[in-house]
This record gives sequence, C-alpha cells and structure tokens, in this order.
Amino acid sequence: MYSYLIRRFLTSILVLFGVSVLVFSIIHLVPGDAVTAILGRQKVSAERVIELRAQLGLNDPIPVQYGRYLSNALRGDLGESIRNYVPVSEAIAEQLPSTIALAFSALTIALVLGFILGLAAALNYGSWFDTTIMGVSVSGMSVPTFWLGLLLIMLFSVRLKWFPSISNSNSFSDLFLPALTLALPESAVVARMVRASMLDVLGKEYVTVARAKGLPEHGVVLKHALRNALIPIVTFVGLQMAYLLGGSAIVETMFARQGIGRLAVDAISNRDYPMVQGVVLVVAVIYVVINTFTDITYTFLNPKIRLK
Amino acid sequence: MSAKPTSLAAPAPASRMVRGASPSARLVRRTLRNRGAQIGAVILLVLIAASLGAPLLTSHDPNAIDPTATLQPPSREHPMGTDHIGRDVLTRFLYGGQLSLRVGLIAIALGATIGVTLGLIAGYYGGWLDAASSWVTDVLLSFPDILLALAIIAVLGPGIVNAMLAIGIAFIPSFMRLTRGNVLAIREMGYVEAARAIGTPDPQILIKHILPNALRTLLVLLTLGIGSAILAGAALSFLGLGAQPPTPEWGAMLNAGQKFIRQAWWLTLFPGLGIFLTVLAINLIGDALSDAVAGATPAYSNKAT
Repeated sequence: MYSYLIRRFLTSILVLFGVSVLVFSIIHLVPGDAVTAILGRQKVSAERVIELRAQLGLNDPIPVQYGRYLSNALRGDLGESIRNYVPVSEAIAEQLPSTIALAFSALTIALVLGFILGLAAALNYGSWFDTTIMGVSVSGMSVPTFWLGLLLIMLFSVRLKWFPSISNSNSFSDLFLPALTLALPESAVVARMVRASMLDVLGKEYVTVARAKGLPEHGVVLKHALRNALIPIVTFVGLQMAYLLGGSAIVETMFARQGIGRLAVDAISNRDYPMVQGVVLVVAVIYVVINTFTDITYTFLNPKIRLK
Repeated sequence: MSAKPTSLAAPAPASRMVRGASPSARLVRRTLRNRGAQIGAVILLVLIAASLGAPLLTSHDPNAIDPTATLQPPSREHPMGTDHIGRDVLTRFLYGGQLSLRVGLIAIALGATIGVTLGLIAGYYGGWLDAASSWVTDVLLSFPDILLALAIIAVLGPGIVNAMLAIGIAFIPSFMRLTRGNVLAIREMGYVEAARAIGTPDPQILIKHILPNALRTLLVLLTLGIGSAILAGAALSFLGLGAQPPTPEWGAMLNAGQKFIRQAWWLTLFPGLGIFLTVLAINLIGDALSDAVAGATPAYSNKAT
C-alpha cells in the first residue's frame, strides 16, 4: 500500500509540473505577439511596448523565463496584473474565499438533495417514483446553469422578491440563489450515482445474508448497503468540487458576485494574461490536490486495496 | 479477410448471419426501442428541421431592427416577442439553433478526430509514446470542465470560431483516454494477432480491425459529447467569450436578455429552452445508446473466449 501511495504522489507531482508548463505557455501561445494582443488598437509609444515586454519578462530565452516563473510561483509570486498593477496572488487570495463559500454551499445542497432522491429511487426501484426521479435527473443534467440561474432569478427575485438577484456577501440570502443554481444540476448527477451504487450493493450476497439473518430492513440499508455504496461516491465528490470551481465562472458572472471565476472571465476579456495564468494555475493545483486526496481516501475506505 | 479463421470459430457471427443485420444496425434498433431515445429523437428532429428551415418558417431577418416594436411580448406577429431593439426573437431563435448545433458538431468532430487518432497510436504502440501522451492527457484533464476551454479562449481570443476550437481541443483528452483503453484490450485479440502475422501494415490494422471494435463505446462519448459541447458553446457565448453580437446564438441571446429580465421574460425563456431541449434530446439518446452498448456483448470479448 505504501508503494501505491508513493507512486500516487509522484504522479501528482509530475502532473503539477505539466500544469505549470502549460499555464506558463499561455502567454507564448498567443497568435502573433502577446504584447500586441494586450495593447490591441491602443496607440502607444514604442517605449510603452518595450516597457511591457520587459515587465512580462519576454526578452529572456524561454527556459530562463520558465525557470523564473516556476521559482516565483513556488514562492507565491504570480506576477502583477497588467491592467491594474495589483499582485495576482493578492487578487486571487482576496477572491478565493467567496468562491469556496459558494462551492461548499452548492456541494452541500447537491449532496443532501442527491442522496435523498437517489436513495428513495433505489429503495423504490422500478416504481413510478423511481421513473419520475430518473426522468427529472436527466433533465437536471441537461439544463444549462446560466439559464437555470436566470429562471431562479425570475421566480425568487423578480416575482416573489425573496432573494436578491445580486450576490455580494456570504450571508444566507446572498448565497442561496447562486448555490442553488450550481447545486441543482449536480444533485441530479449525485442522485443517479447514489441510485446506481445502491442498486449494485443491494444485489450483493452480504445484503441477502443480512436480510436472511432477520435484520430489520432499515438496519440492512443503513449498516450494510449504504456504507458500501458510499465508496464509489467518495471519488465522485472530489471530482465534483472541481466542477463547482469551474462552474463558478458562470454563476459569479451572472449574480455579479465576487470570486475567482469572475476574475478569470474579466481577465480573459481584458487580455490580462498574468491574471489568467494565475487563476488557471491556482484552480488546476487545487484540483490536482483534491484528486490526490480523494484517491488516498478511497484507498483507506476500500479494504481490498488497504489490506494489500 | 484476415480475421476469417477467428470469426468462424466465434459463436456471435453465426447468429448475426441468421438475423441478417449488421451490428451497427442492431445497435441503432436496440437504442430506438428505448422510450427516452424515441422522445429525444423526435425533439431533435423537430429542432434540426426548424433551424434548417428557418428561412421558410419566418419572413423576418434575424438582424432586422424595428425601433417601433421593441420589447414586445409574444403575439401573432412575433410568436416569441421582440428584443430591446425590435428584432424578432423567433427568427433569432431559429437561426441561433443552427449555430448552436454547428458549434456542437464541429467541436466534437475536431476533438474526436484528434483524440481518437492519438489514442489509437498511443494504445497500439505503447512504450514511451504512450507514457508521454498519457501524461499530457493527465495534465489536460486536471483543468476542470470549462476552465480548459476558458484558458484556450484566453490564448486565441474571444469569438465563436475560437470557442469551437477551444471546446474541440478541450475534448481531445477524453477521446484519447477512452480510445487508448479500448485499444489496449483489442490489440491482444486473436484476430489482431492474425492480421499482424500475415503482415498487414499497421495503419490498416488500426483502421480496419481495431477502430471498428472500439467504436461502440466511442459512440456513447461522441453522442453525449455533442450535448456537452453545445452547452459549453452557449456558456462561452453567455460569458461574452463566444458568439459576438449581433450574431444570433442562444447563449449570446440569453446574455443580452438578462438586462431585461424584469420587463421581458420571453428574452430569457425561449433561448434557454432551446439549449435545454437540444441537450436533453441528445442526453436521452446517449443514455439509451449507452444501455444498448452495455447490453450487447462487446465484439472483442466473445472472440477472446
């Protein structure tokens, strides 16, 4: 098992290295010249162009630039915004808590809702209830987040006036609509997962044995089935966190909410490459770290791997 | 031809001959027996027919401005109302559908072609080539969902063509990984070995013997991928990074309509409904296809026994 853990860590470090190379390349892959793209149609002096090139460190050989980028990034220095001259790491540190609050609220709603629906569907397998839940969940997976959010705004802000359509704090009423928007399509996926996993486990021999022993049904479901059904779902939750971080770009823009998703979208529109690189790097690193920990948790949960 | 000896020994081809249908025809038939797939196919056909027949169904121009009829609710003249500069929403909806479908199809065609080719090569040849490309796939897959497309847009700049490219590129790793996994199993099959033994050139083995057998599972990703690509394209346009005004596109229409959400519900309802129904139809078909593929014994496993 330890050799597995070490291998897993090494893989993650290799992937992180690749991520850093890719993020570093963003500015170099811009068709033509990044400085020309940044300045757009602005008329600027030749000195400004030279200054910007120097500021972005574009005059050195590529490997030197990458070495500097990596060593700076490892020390937490992600460069400076070329639009408002704020250090990128500061801007991200300022916006990240808002996105994390959103992602966690959404994940909580999605898991609670998904679990209840998935479990109820599995225990009533084949009934009209099951069919309905599964039908609703296919729709939930197909609904565009941005449309769902607008519909929720129309219902809860414009009609009922219960929640604001602009979210600028982490209070319950400000978080509710954005979190629900992100969570509903997710809960559909969770419900499908829980249902499939429960149905799989309920057909296993040890569940039949537990029933044959005369264990009450809720005991069978809670103690024997649900615990084992949870294993594949753990892996899934890790991946969902990443989806939520990515989906925050849309929801934050729509609700005019602070956060790194909106920071990224604004930076792309402004051609603020250091900012884009910073956000992409941070999100990808968070994702890789979550994935690694998910895999390790999975190892501990699954006795087949743990006891090897 | 080279696979003849093995296929004679296998039980499956015999029953295939009796039923007189190709495996792909049977797959389609099994998929369409599913109620969800039937509903999905009908929705999709109506949407495709409506968007392709847009010039016949509406006499308006998608970009014709009418200052005397702005923000009008749905009426006989404008069944989906008009927007803030008096353009007919139904007309823009129909033309927008054309664009959304095109974005999905082109992006997936791009992603699948490159991804499948790389997956075939990596899986078949193995070695350092496989190790290197698997590493690249791992790296690309560590950018969650829309973030990879956003990063590519950051490089290429906003616009609908760039959005298509970005989504297509973002799909390469998924196609590559799935193909590679399939090829690893298929390349050990007797019929591939037989083909190699009689000196069939590698490209021919890959295209004639391996690809057709990997196609079933790829078909599921291909179908569901078109749905995701349409969603991603609309999302990028909604963020202002895809289709630019005045191009009629569902995501861009939602973006423009958001400002009038208090006065004009029809600007939000209809374009979103278009995206939702299209993706729902594709997901229903994809789900049924996935069940049909899972229900059928993979072509390579019964030859392994």
